[in-house]
Amino acid sequence: MLDSFFVAAALTLDAPAIIPSSGESFFDWLSNSVFVSFVVSAFIIWFARQATKQLTVVPGPTQNMFEAVVQGLYDLIESIVGSHMVARAFSLLATLFIFILVSNWFALLPGVGSIGWGKDTPAGFEVLTPILRPTTADMNMTLAMACVFMVFWLYWSISEVGIKGFLDHIFGVKGGLTGFMALALIPVFLFVGVIEVVSMAFRPMSLSLRLFGNVFAGETLLSTMITLGKQLNLPDWIAYALSVTIPVPFYFLEILVGLLQATVFLLLCSVYLQLSTSHDEEEGH
Amino acid sequence: MIPHILAAAAETASGISGSFTLAIAGAAAAIGIGMIGGKAVEAVGRNPGASGKVLTLSIIGMALAEAIAIYALILAFQGR
Repeated sequence: MLDSFFVAAALTLDAPAIIPSSGESFFDWLSNSVFVSFVVSAFIIWFARQATKQLTVVPGPTQNMFEAVVQGLYDLIESIVGSHMVARAFSLLATLFIFILVSNWFALLPGVGSIGWGKDTPAGFEVLTPILRPTTADMNMTLAMACVFMVFWLYWSISEVGIKGFLDHIFGVKGGLTGFMALALIPVFLFVGVIEVVSMAFRPMSLSLRLFGNVFAGETLLSTMITLGKQLNLPDWIAYALSVTIPVPFYFLEILVGLLQATVFLLLCSVYLQLSTSHDEEEGH
Repeated sequence: MIPHILAAAAETASGISGSFTLAIAGAAAAIGIGMIGGKAVEAVGRNPGASGKVLTLSIIGMALAEAIAIYALILAFQGR
């Protein structure tokens, strides 16, 4: 009786389409992580409207929490990016943070990853295409977010420091050298600039791989821990007891990792922004 | 006696599988994160007032160090 409930949801690297389409059907793009991104953004929008329905000077509980989140993010970003840039960059960075955080924590709800189409295996029903799957556990989503940020980063830094300033940031002679020394070191700094460009080009990859890797590894960790009793083919009732008790600490770990990865994504994006939009007067000659 | 043990060890060693990339990357990232954590704790010990800024910088440092292990982890998932 017990073995029918075992669900070994092995996550595949790419997010399969929810509706198992035979041929080229219209809903091919609706993968389970895209569906969850709709659900998550709908939840965020509903919560935001709920909090800002009637704004009172003495805030109600929802509004109070919402204000705390927005104010905290504003101060954090301002402390990194500087008061001038924060007005421009706050909306994108805060949205990225909130979306990643909510989708990471949404992934810890019971239904995600364990309900869906699958096949009967001797070890019980195995879910092959779960309906719900955390959006950040899908490389497309994290890469999309990272690329969107890089486009904005390029636009902001060029509009902030100008094309000449932007190129000077990368290839310019740094360290306040002047005169003959500067001329002598130009080829060196050109080479440094090339390395700088390579590292800038790799930033979206590292941002997206870090977020994707952490969340994907967390999902796999949880599903392995849940099915640990079954894998060690212990007797059913021990396996059932293990599958309930073992994952509990890992759920707390996942809550922390979800928050940490969202914070890291936000911090790194604002640090990258600050690096390339800092005006000359701050560097000091 | 010793050669038997060595032979047995060699034989089992040949059977070792698993992802060496992940083992090495994980170890290196762990050392890096440990050092960052150690230094951060020292810094806060020396100047408790700056704990907020030290926390932010150490989180960024640890994230960058951990990213290397995540690259290896993803390779390991793909079976390399």
